[in-house]
Amino acid sequence: MASFTKKPGELLWFSLLGLGMLVGAGTALMVLTKGHSHMYNVSREVPWGILISTYVFFVVSSTGLCLVSSLGHVFGIEQFELIGRRAILLSIITLLTGFGTIAMEINHPIRMAIYVMLTPNLESPIWWMGTLYGIYLVLLIGEFFFLMKNHHKGALTMGILGFIAAVTAHSNLGGVFGLLEARPYWHGSFLPLYFILSALVSGGALISIIVYYNYQFRKIPLPAKYPHFLTTLAKLQALFLMILIFFIIWKIIPGLYGRPPEKYEATMAILTGPLAFNFWFFEVLIGMIAPVMILFTKKFVTPFGVMVAGALCTVGIFFMRYDLVVAGQIVPMREDTDGIINGLVSYAPSLAEYGIVLGALATCMFLYTLAEKVFDLEMKGH
Amino acid sequence: MNKKRYAIVLDTRRCIDCKACTVACKAENNVPLGRQNHRNWVTEEEVRGTYPHLGQSFTPSQCMHCANAPCKKVCPTSATGRSPEGIITVDEKRCIGCKYCMTACPYDARYYNEEIEAVDKCTFCQHRILAGRVPACVDTCPTKVRVFGDINDPTSEASKLLAKHPHRVIKEGMGTKPHLFYLI
Repeated sequence: MASFTKKPGELLWFSLLGLGMLVGAGTALMVLTKGHSHMYNVSREVPWGILISTYVFFVVSSTGLCLVSSLGHVFGIEQFELIGRRAILLSIITLLTGFGTIAMEINHPIRMAIYVMLTPNLESPIWWMGTLYGIYLVLLIGEFFFLMKNHHKGALTMGILGFIAAVTAHSNLGGVFGLLEARPYWHGSFLPLYFILSALVSGGALISIIVYYNYQFRKIPLPAKYPHFLTTLAKLQALFLMILIFFIIWKIIPGLYGRPPEKYEATMAILTGPLAFNFWFFEVLIGMIAPVMILFTKKFVTPFGVMVAGALCTVGIFFMRYDLVVAGQIVPMREDTDGIINGLVSYAPSLAEYGIVLGALATCMFLYTLAEKVFDLEMKGH
Repeated sequence: MNKKRYAIVLDTRRCIDCKACTVACKAENNVPLGRQNHRNWVTEEEVRGTYPHLGQSFTPSQCMHCANAPCKKVCPTSATGRSPEGIITVDEKRCIGCKYCMTACPYDARYYNEEIEAVDKCTFCQHRILAGRVPACVDTCPTKVRVFGDINDPTSEASKLLAKHPHRVIKEGMGTKPHLFYLI
């Protein structure tokens, strides 16, 4: 406690996160006692809501952190070796928070643990999702262990396996949505590819935030190697974002061209319908255009600038996940479904759903900040 | 002897939208109250023509007991299964409530039943079939829209109707091979 009183900023930070976690825990308790249907706004027509999209947000972050950090200790790009421990640690934490979030959405997580073993369905992308992310988690923990021990060979082996697991698990998550023929907006091979690509944007963004946080925010002078690293990261991040914009454009064009049934209505829900503000303001402006402009403006490419771009990307990506999950279900399966407005069903998260999301975000940041205090995450020997 | 394959053949021109089938189903299968909780439904098509020459059609529907069922494919714990007679079933004990089947079903035939704490859907009233009776929705219909039967038996009433009349299935393009046949 003595160290906290010396750092009022830190005390405030932990108090805020503690408050967020309390809100999350209280909400979770209410959901468990009152039942999902009384607390959540998901419905027969829109069975997957903000908890699923937040889960996707977290696991995409995990994958992205793993992929970007593997540029260092797997692909040997020296500058990226700096962030190995931090990235893998946050990758573990985001993955665990993601699991926690989806456990609050699934009605029977305990039954799940039993029956995915006893009566598995190998045809189910969700079965593979659980299995592959489970393997991925074990590999990440192994990788972190070896990185902490400075065991390069072990870290390399785990890093390679972790990289393969990350790509497999995460493209499969795209498949969870992409293999549903009933949902034309999701269906196809686009989502597995797009999930991998957007994971890179997520990973790059979060790395810029944690590097900045660890030095500037804690008022420790940034070691000389970091500004150089951040400049390289900025270039890479700009490239990832440009590819992401390319992907978004090519997601929209086939949704409009020839007005394909259901895909068109979902695309229009994004462009001009109920999801339009999320899309244009948060996804496009905050999540793509603003960071690209920062990253392409030479005088803004400072540790602070890169961090701001990363933070904006992260906010944008959070909305991107939400819009993707909701847009896929917003077109009703039956034409005369109750409560249709302009041909679409509606969904808005309930207070309880927001409470769980807040709790998850706070828990993730809390665990990470705490880990920074517990572990020595500075890479040695470079 | 051929294996049994249950199906329902519907003549929607007979439907008067009385919704007795939905009431009978709720009562028979303890479906909880609430807008979202239903195993079957009647779709009211738009009114055609101009007054006084008007027409309207109603399409009663429920789980299609697809031969290529997307809900069964996606279930991570194999809670969704198929009986030898082609009935798509849900084993409540194994349902984890991930609702993947609900997103996979192109017919919106499933809902989450808070009372049994599992996803629920039409079972062609399996318990009644075992007792030699027909599903409640079939039994109760005053105009006999639905005919239930074994379409692998060429002498069943359902088979005869399918032989005699052209028919369609809903969302054929999904490739789900549904087993609710609508006479044209």
